[in-house]
Amino acid sequence: MLRQEQNFAPDHGTWICGRCRVPLEQIKVQALYLQSAFDVTLPRCPKCGMTLIPEYLAEGKMQEVEALVEDK
Amino acid sequence: MSRDILYATQSLCPVCLRRLDAYYINDTDGAVLLARTCPEHGEFATCIWPSPLEAPDITPFQKWKVTKTPSYPQDPATDLNQGCPYDCGLCPAHAQHTCHGLLEVTMRCNLACPVCYASAGEGELPKDPSRAAISAMLANLLARSGTCNVQLSGGEPTVREDLPDIIREAKALGFPLVQVNSNGVRLGQDKDYARKLAEAGLDSVYLQWDSLKADVLAYFRGTRVPNLREIKEAALANCAAAGLGVVLVATLVKGVNDQELGDLLRDAVGRGPVVRGLHLQPASYFGRSPVDAVHSPRLTLGHVMQTLASQAPEWIKASDFHPPCCEHSLCSFSAVYARVGKDLELEESVTALHGAESIRAEEGSRVAKAFIARQWSRPGLGSSCCGESRETKQSASLCCGGGQDAFSKFLDKRSADRRFTLSCMAFQDSLSLDIERLRGCCIHIVRPDGRMVPFCAQNMTSLTGIPLYPDRLQEQS
Repeated sequence: MLRQEQNFAPDHGTWICGRCRVPLEQIKVQALYLQSAFDVTLPRCPKCGMTLIPEYLAEGKMQEVEALVEDK
Repeated sequence: MSRDILYATQSLCPVCLRRLDAYYINDTDGAVLLARTCPEHGEFATCIWPSPLEAPDITPFQKWKVTKTPSYPQDPATDLNQGCPYDCGLCPAHAQHTCHGLLEVTMRCNLACPVCYASAGEGELPKDPSRAAISAMLANLLARSGTCNVQLSGGEPTVREDLPDIIREAKALGFPLVQVNSNGVRLGQDKDYARKLAEAGLDSVYLQWDSLKADVLAYFRGTRVPNLREIKEAALANCAAAGLGVVLVATLVKGVNDQELGDLLRDAVGRGPVVRGLHLQPASYFGRSPVDAVHSPRLTLGHVMQTLASQAPEWIKASDFHPPCCEHSLCSFSAVYARVGKDLELEESVTALHGAESIRAEEGSRVAKAFIARQWSRPGLGSSCCGESRETKQSASLCCGGGQDAFSKFLDKRSADRRFTLSCMAFQDSLSLDIERLRGCCIHIVRPDGRMVPFCAQNMTSLTGIPLYPDRLQEQS
């Protein structure tokens, strides 16, 4: 069963790219930090590539990952 | 002192504690000594790094050192007057923030060990600090150092009946990791006690764990409490049942338990995620000690690294170990290992951020604080791949298995439950003191008189037993 977390949708509502005025789409992107790369699906502008990181992800799992990657 | 000087610093005369110019020099066999000459008491040279003949696999002394850009206290409690190490409080010249704030909540002890840096539990003991004094100490720590990690120590802190209340108060103030430094006697004898501390919010127990052998344990801990080995086993089991994280801590004396390091490590790893790591402390010669400080061979960081690599070659390479990012590089080493398989055996060293020759002290402190808070805490915290709390899960097992995103896969592989830290801290005594190391110290004892004093300065005694900082539990008048 595919879990919802594989596809990190916005917290709520429909998001539109402020610059291009087009709706964001769920697109596979690569998040890079230090020497680690993560393939995840995030809301992204199909025209300019601006990517939204939903708040629950930024303050949750992504913050945990960041902390682990930084470990001394 | 005609031998080549590697670099210069300052130290103390171990007899009269006066400050002296000091030099790291090579001994004839390549070992590194800290040497200085007191006009009154003569020359002292103390081994700080082993000879390559003794420890061929470890990083050489000159390559181990990490330079840190100092970060000074924003609100120093004492003025620069006589200079380091006589003005601790912290003074404006102190070069590192607090990573661990340590509160000595009593000098009473139910063991009164033959080896004790605090000389606790025997003789005329100071009165325990009152609850009001402890509240003031916590408030002072928070104001000066922010939400650092807290260790409640002593003496034996579990002899205080109000310890759960102190823990509750520290957690309510927002300190991320609250840890109790304990000999395990009460935790082992009173089945419900670990649960009471956990319910108060305790995250971690720093459990004295010097040897698996009863006779070696008696060397360190005396014979006041019979069946101490069994009591410590019960303490660990009770902590596990209460969901507490435990760091096993062994004091090391050459010729007494250094040949047991591989067995201590294998045993610690075999106990699963309740044991967050094994922490080693070569004995320092302050407080109470049966060892002749001047003439006994010293275990340095390098000796311990080499011994671990030799005694547990199935897991450990000397190159796994790296200097700390928070305290001075000659004060500790550590390595973080991934645990694999159902037995959670150690796999590769997973440390990401090391190898830098120079770092900012402030950044090193931030990273170290966060790491310790995560790694030494109770098992099973943090989100799992399915978003459920791990708290109720068997930590060793994977969460959902399939269907994970890349972040979750990473978290599962690298979560604290699937890691094990192996670390060692070389405390400084009057023979090994380097003032540059002391200025970089991040473990600060919070005193009832409002001062915060680096751990080694607070515990420093001359070879004749005179303390550098007396009246450790004296409240502000």
